[in-house]
Parts: sequence; structure tokens; C-alpha cells
Amino acid sequence: MKSPAFEYARAASIDEACELLSQHGDSAKVLAGGQSLVPMMAFRLLRPHWLIDISEIAPLQYIALETDVARTGACTRQCTVQCDATLAAQVPLLRQALAFVGHAQIRNRGTIGGSLVQADPSAELPLVAQILQARLVVRAKSGPRTLTAEDFFTGPMTTALAPDECLTEIQWPVWPDRSTGSAFTEVSRRHGDFAMVAAGAQVAVDAAGQCIRAAFGVGGAAPTPVAFPDLAQRLVGTSFNQALLRDVAQQAAAALEPGADTHASAAYRRHLAAVLATRVLQSAYDTARAAR
Amino acid sequence: MTKTAAASPYGFRYIGTKRRAKEHARFVTGHGNYAADVTLPGLKHVALAASPHASAKILAIRTDVARAMPGVHYVLTGEEFCSATDSLPIGVDAPKVTRWALARDRVRYAGEWVAAVVADSRALAEDAAELVEVEYEALPHVTDAEQAMAPGSALVHPAHGSNVVLHRDFIWGPVEDQFAKAEHHMRFRAIWNRNATVPIETFAVMAQWQPGTEILDIWASIQMPKYPDQTAKALRLPGNAVRVHYDVDVGGSYGVKRGIKHTVLVGFLAKRLGMPVRLVEDRLENMRGGDMHGPDRSFDIDAAFDGDGTIRALRIRAIDNVGAYAGRAPFQLGKPVSAICGPYKIPAIAYEPISVLTNKTPQEAVRGFGQAPTNFAIERTIDRIAGFLTMDPIALRQKNLIQHDQFPYTIPSGSTYDSGDYHAVLDKALAAIDYPALVERRDQARRAGLLAGIGIATCLEPSGGNSAFEPLLNPKNETTTWMDSCLVRIDLSGAITGIMGTSSSGQGHETLVSTVVGEILQRDPAQIRVIHADSLSALPSNSPVGSRMAIMLGGAAAGAARKIKETLLAIAAHNFECAKDDLDYRDGNVNLKGVPSKILSWDQLVEIAHRKFHAMPPDVEPGLQEKFTWQVPTGGGLPTPDGRIQIYPCYAFETHIVYVEIDSDTATPTIKRYVCGHDCGVMINPDIVHGMTYGGIAHGIGAALYEQFTYDDNGQLTSGTFMDYLIPSAREIPAITIVDHCTPSPLTTFGQKGSGEAGYLGAPAAVANAINDALAPRNVEINALPISHLAIWDALAGRNSR
Repeated sequence: MKSPAFEYARAASIDEACELLSQHGDSAKVLAGGQSLVPMMAFRLLRPHWLIDISEIAPLQYIALETDVARTGACTRQCTVQCDATLAAQVPLLRQALAFVGHAQIRNRGTIGGSLVQADPSAELPLVAQILQARLVVRAKSGPRTLTAEDFFTGPMTTALAPDECLTEIQWPVWPDRSTGSAFTEVSRRHGDFAMVAAGAQVAVDAAGQCIRAAFGVGGAAPTPVAFPDLAQRLVGTSFNQALLRDVAQQAAAALEPGADTHASAAYRRHLAAVLATRVLQSAYDTARAAR
Repeated sequence: MTKTAAASPYGFRYIGTKRRAKEHARFVTGHGNYAADVTLPGLKHVALAASPHASAKILAIRTDVARAMPGVHYVLTGEEFCSATDSLPIGVDAPKVTRWALARDRVRYAGEWVAAVVADSRALAEDAAELVEVEYEALPHVTDAEQAMAPGSALVHPAHGSNVVLHRDFIWGPVEDQFAKAEHHMRFRAIWNRNATVPIETFAVMAQWQPGTEILDIWASIQMPKYPDQTAKALRLPGNAVRVHYDVDVGGSYGVKRGIKHTVLVGFLAKRLGMPVRLVEDRLENMRGGDMHGPDRSFDIDAAFDGDGTIRALRIRAIDNVGAYAGRAPFQLGKPVSAICGPYKIPAIAYEPISVLTNKTPQEAVRGFGQAPTNFAIERTIDRIAGFLTMDPIALRQKNLIQHDQFPYTIPSGSTYDSGDYHAVLDKALAAIDYPALVERRDQARRAGLLAGIGIATCLEPSGGNSAFEPLLNPKNETTTWMDSCLVRIDLSGAITGIMGTSSSGQGHETLVSTVVGEILQRDPAQIRVIHADSLSALPSNSPVGSRMAIMLGGAAAGAARKIKETLLAIAAHNFECAKDDLDYRDGNVNLKGVPSKILSWDQLVEIAHRKFHAMPPDVEPGLQEKFTWQVPTGGGLPTPDGRIQIYPCYAFETHIVYVEIDSDTATPTIKRYVCGHDCGVMINPDIVHGMTYGGIAHGIGAALYEQFTYDDNGQLTSGTFMDYLIPSAREIPAITIVDHCTPSPLTTFGQKGSGEAGYLGAPAAVANAINDALAPRNVEINALPISHLAIWDALAGRNSR
């Protein structure tokens, strides 16, 4: 469980990281918190010739709050995001999801961007990015571009990131509605494991308690985490009656392509998707109403 | 600053009082000295090339590319190694099932070691191990024990002629007669899937050959009886050419730190190359090729009982999947003979143990040595009988538990239980959990639509390991002693040192020996040092296995300390020209009764013994040191022709009460309450006993709900990392209440019994019973461990997941 030999470079700036990636991108991996990459190298499942360490680049570590968007630097530690009360007030789903990411020790090292780039289909942060339709800013030596979460996640452990690109910023939409609620939950064998199935939802209501905006998604049950904007739209204008909720959740579950492993069968995952989607939608709705 | 210790509940001065464990300070301050902390100049490192196949012929191995890498010193294959060394010992009578650290001609499980690379660093050795080219021809494999028993199955060791290495039929008592008379019969199958203790520290061993003295020095994270002897024998060395340094700390074991194959391999390489060599398993090597999996067993149970709850007889057929080789592991079917009817008055038992070879990783000893699976099967039987009779499972237990006034109690298979008060311990546990309130809570939860259940288990921990199952299961093996020893010496300064002859893997033996010696000599245990001799200077020991050290090392240390005390009294009697009976011994000082001025202090007595031969009584050796070697109480016998034998001497009792709720929509179980009533006689250090019990319960919850070495259809281990082999964390383990009770053993020095396996022996059964109580209203049942979310969901959905 020792990695094969590799070259290591600690980038002092984003420009230097991009320069190094332009030279070695095809045979390089970017090291941020190292919580997935380092074990995979130790298992020799990944054998990069170059390791480009961006964890010390201060301009990649920030939380910037604007009216309609919260911007986080890609190298911001998960614990920093989790502990930021102002951010939690604007994008509550992030903190709710982070409570399920590994354990405190992992969140102390792990970064927001690292988890997104890793793109594990059952990981929590990619699911939140999908649900909220986050935008991801990536940089190459030639310049930046911005991707939607939907375009970013292309398959299990794969993203639209080019070999010479580095994720630099994640833009989390902030819902302006005062009466917004969100919820995140998952089922795993043990706390801190990758979810067998995870689900998150965010709902806004008007003064009458009618839904004016809804979003939800499911992780761990398809090659990427999946958001269901069209199904969520069916909830707008309603007061979330049980039959409608169940029907929406069932349709979402039916649209998934869950896999099977030693912990969960495809049928169990599909079942969990429906149960958890119902629960997070109901909980988000209840929270939104209570927030009025 | 000294705090007054709470008084011993047993009336001792130190035994049973709450005292800091002697060794814990060095562990928590980072001053432990583990095998991988010991280093030598010029040390080389080993990595292994492992078989990707569950079963294959080795057609060719090409090592030249690996060998040519800079920094690589040697590549060893089975061809050379197996010719130059002898097979590791085979416990059962199956001489063709030979076993070496490296495969030759044939691999028998995925992960089996094929070549060993020695290099300047472990990373280089791993690089080179990838370059060892092995040409295989895949062969049919079998991973299921019953398929392996079927005619026409692929054979794991064709030379043995069958995959069965042990198959016995024991009938103890009038089984046929009891079945004929019983009002009811009930059959079912209980399955205990593979788990183990998975220590943080994997197995580590370093060896150095000293050409000048012709001694092989070994430092290893070892917990194993006869380890130096077996190493020497396999290496074709005299026993006194192997020196095992027992003064290394062991980072977890509970049975699995056997490492004999690792040691013979590293010892061979060190001698062959003339370089110090170290192997520290990585996690994957440990999980897949470290040969540390525990029992993998199915039980077919047939119970005979009456309508009033009287259990008349059991027929138990236990098929154990031992994996690709059969070292000591098949004996894990033997230890449970010592408590085959559990704590119950069951007059007749039929027991059919079958040990089967398959293409899985070989088994090794795991905490309880087969008792935990057996207890699980027995306790599921008790609950199923209660369910069948619609009788309260507690009332059924109370009816069948052996009564306090029936001890010593001899069970049908020949062991006599030393002592116990099972009803009292059960009552204490029921009171501690407020059982009527718990039942109300469960029923309320059920009325609210939840699945909720209470699980009980009442189980035994046979302790004091004498390994009498060896002659029982292998008639060619006549081992009838399993002694342990201690040497106690007082130096010229008056300081006391206890010397033990084995390493410790977390059991607190330094605390044990110092407490016992301090108790006898009335000297402060905090000032008593305890050291671990090396194997060439050690007195005989059989290592800390079978919950034996409180009994055996405690008894040996007490015996040696008593001899010291007698010597001190003899010196005083000689100098006061009186009889020993005329003397008072207090705090190490001796004075003539009734004459306060006639006193010889500890220091004076020690000085006489070390310096003043003229003041010594005749026939007393100068210098103050005494050894005591103790045979296991009640041990020494061979089995009768019908297979009856006293196995372990002492029987600790534990009762577990667990309350579980299941979210039926997600099939998620949560343990809400946990109480364990525990009686292991006199506790020499209660904190150590409680620590082992808490850990054992956590371990048992792991076995019940989480931990399993799973294999796919290709015979590949699919849970070789902590991503898939799920050890419960603090988030999964509930608050646990332990309620102590003390029924002293009449067989031991202070009334102590064993406790190293406590918790693990009952927790899996209790949790399984709780889950099944929760599922009962849905008329479904799960009798296979671990009970995963998926198993619960499948059961609720009416599917069979296994």
C-alpha cells in the first residue's frame, strides 16, 4: 500500500497550477485535501506521474456571499464551509449535506472542490450541486470557463474537466425567498460511509403556504447524482399533499438507474430513492412553512 | 498527590480496587513500542506478489525483471522456500493438507502469496512485486462449504482426497430417547458468516540472523502459543536457535495475531540473505492474505422440548468453512464442546462438527475460538422455542438455566462448570434496564407503527484455556498441559520485578501481575515492574489465548510471590530462632508476634537474602527469586472413548438485554438500549474487565449487523478494505451499561475467571434476537449474520436475500 514513485510540485498560485497542468496535465493529478486521491494512490488504483498540490494556494480558499450567489473557492475545506453560519443561512443544504460527509477528521482535510472533481455518484456535495444547479468555474492556462453542474458531471467518477483544467470556484445559487426550507438525508450502513442512497430538497413557499419553487435530487442510484427539475415543477402551486408527493418521488425513483453491490440491491436502492425523496421534500416544505 | 482508592469489594487490599492500568500511560502518551517501531541498521523490507485466482496451477514464475530492479535484493518463490523449510503444523489429522507461506505449483485462494520480494524500501519492494510474472492456468474453485462437501466438487487439496478435514459424530446422553419422549421438535438453520477481529496494527515481523551466535532474533506483533517452537521447526532449526523478543507491544489481536507463516518466511529470508528483514502487512494483505478470518459456519439445529418449556435434547450439526488450509482453525469447532448446552440444563446433546476446505482465505483463531457463533445458534434456538410455545423468552430461560445450588455442574459433553448464579445475574440485568418499562416502550413504539424489539441472550465464556479440544478432535495429539509461569525477583534495592514469558496484546498483564504480586507481598503494585522475557530466557507460557491469563498468569504470579513470602518468613524465623507460625507478616516487614521490637524490615530481609549468607537459614537459596509454573486447574485428562472431556476449568456468565427499533421504510436498525450483566468471578482490575467487555460488545454488534468478509462468484474477496468491511464506529455503538456480579471460582487463586472474550460471546445473539423480536409482528425472521439493511429489507419484502 505504497504509491509508486511520482513527481510532486506545490503550486504557489493558480497561474502556476495552470502552467503545471498545461505541461503535465495528461499524466497529472491535482492534490487538494487528498481524502480520496491519496488512498487510491496507495492502493495503486491511480498512478499519476505528477502530483500538483494546490492545497496551499490561498486565493482558492474563500467564502464570498452575494445577494443571489454564494461563491466558494475550490480549495476551501469542508469543515470551513460547514462551520460558516452566514453561508449556512443562505445555502442551508450545504451544511445539512456536509454532516453526512465522512467524519470530522475527513472534513478537516477534505475540500469542497475535491469532492466535486472526484464525482463519486453517491457523494453528498455533487448531489447538492446538482439540486441547486450550481455553476463551476474551471481554469486552464488559456483562461476560465464556467459549467453548470449538469454539464460538469458526466459519469461515475468522471467530469467534463479537461486534463489541463483545474476547478477554482463553485457558485451556489441563493434563493431569495424568505420562506425557504431544505433537507438532506441518506441511508448508509454506518454513519460516514458513502450513501447507499442520498436525497436532498429545497422548497420555497408563499404566504399561503403554497409552494412557489422546489428542487430535489437523489444520489447513489445512478451513474451521477440526479436532480429532477421537471418533477419538482409539478409541486409548485401545491400544498404538498401526500398522494402527489409520493407520486413525484415514485416517478423520480423510476427514472433512476441504480446499481447493485454487496450492500444494496438495485431494487432496494430504487425503493430507498422514493422513500428518501418523499421525506426530504416533506421536511423541506415543513421547514419553509415554519420559516414564514 | 495520591487519591485513596475505593476499597476492594472482595476484601482484598489491591485486587478489585479501581487502579490505573500499569501499561496504559505509555499507550496514550505515544510511548508504546510496537514491532514496526523496532528497527535495525541495514533493514530490508518485504512485499508480496499474490495470486489473482481463487484456484489455479502455477505454470511458471519469472522473477528476473523484478530481481534486476535497483534496490531489490532477492525474489523468493515457493520452489526454493518449500524445499528448504517444513510445512506449518496441521492441527487436525490431515497430513496431506500441507501449508507454506508461499504457494508452490498451485494457488488455493485469491490473495495467496506466490513470491516475496526483498528491497531497500517497502515501496520499492511493491514496485518489484508488480514485475514478478506468474503464468497461471485457472482451475475450478469452490467457496461454499456444502458445495465443497458434495461429490464431484473441485478439490482444494487433491492429495487429501476430499475437502473435509474433520467430521465427527458425538452423542452425549440419551439423545434418541429424549427426542422420542419430547412433546415437540423444532428444526432450523442459523448462519454465522465470516468476520474477524481486525486490529489497527496489521501483522508485523522483523527477523535477524546472528551468524556469530547462530541465533535468529525475532520481533513480532504476536499472540500465539508455541510460536518460537513452530518457527524453529519449520525452519529446521533447534528450538534454542530462535529468540522471540516478547517485549514488543501488540496493537490489537483478540486471536488473529498468529503470523506463523509470515514469521517463517521472514526468518528464512533473514538467514538466507544475512540481512535483517521486516514484513509489515498492508491492509489488503492483512484482509486477503493474512489468514486472519474467523469462523464461517452454518448450524442445523434440531431441538426436542416439552410444552412446559423443558428442553430435553439438541442435535447440532455445524459445518465450518475453514478456507484453503487447515492450521489450528478447525479446532474452533472443538472449544464449544466445553459449553455445548450453554448455561442450560439440557441432558442430551448430539454434535456433528464438520470442517471443510474451500478456496477462501484460511481461517485463524478469533475471540472466543468458535464459542460466539455457537452461543448465537443456541440463543436463537431458545428464542425460537419460546416463540413456538408462545412463552416469554425470559421465563423459558429461567426455567432451563442451571441453578446456583447445582454447581459444580457436569454437562453431557464432560465439562464441569465451576460456579455461577445465572438467575441472579439475569435478574440484575433486568432490573438495570427496568424491564417492565422497556416492554412498555417497545409496545408503545409498535402501537405507533414502528418495528421494535427486545433481545435477550444468556451465554457462557469458557475460560482458562487448556486446549483439551486438541486430543478430542485429533487422537494423534496427546497434549494435556497448557501451563503458564511467572518468575518474581526482589533485587538488592528491594524493588520487585515480575517476569512473564509471552507478549501482551492489550490485556493488561503488567497490571495483572503487579496487582497479584502486590496483593500477596502487601507491597504497592505501582512500584512493581513487570517485564516480558524473550523466548530463550522465558519460563513456559502458552500465551494469552482462551481467556486464560487472569487465571493462569495470575495464579502463577501469586504462586511465585507466595514462595518469596515463605522465604522471607523463613529468614525471619531463623534470625529470631522461632517458628514461622510465631511471626506476623505486614507490608513486607516481619515481626515476632507480641514483641514489637523484634522486627526485620523488608529492606533488612532483602539484604540478608542478597548479602548475608551467614544470617540465612540452611537449605534456603540466597538471592530472592522464585518461579512458579502452573498446570491448568482440572486439566490433564484425555477424552473418554465416547468423547467426553473436561475442557476449560472456569465458566463466566453474561446476559445481554438489547432494545432495537427498525425504520421499516428504510430497513435501518438502531440500537436504543444496551445492558450487559456480567459475572467473571473476582475482577483483578475492574477497569480492564469493563474495557474488554465494552470492546467485546462493540465487536459483537459488528458481527451482528456490519462485518463480513464477502466473496463474489469468482472467489474474490469483495470486502478487503474498510470501505466494504464495516467496523462499527462510535456512531453505531450505543451507550452500554455493564452490571457486575461476582460468583468466585473455587478453582482459582482469588476466585477469578476469564473475561477477555466477554461481550463478543453474547452480543451477536442478543442483537439478532432483538431484530427478530422487532420483525415478529410481520411474521418474518432472519437467522443469518450479519443482519444488513438489505437483509432486513428483503425479509420485510418477503424475499430471501441469501
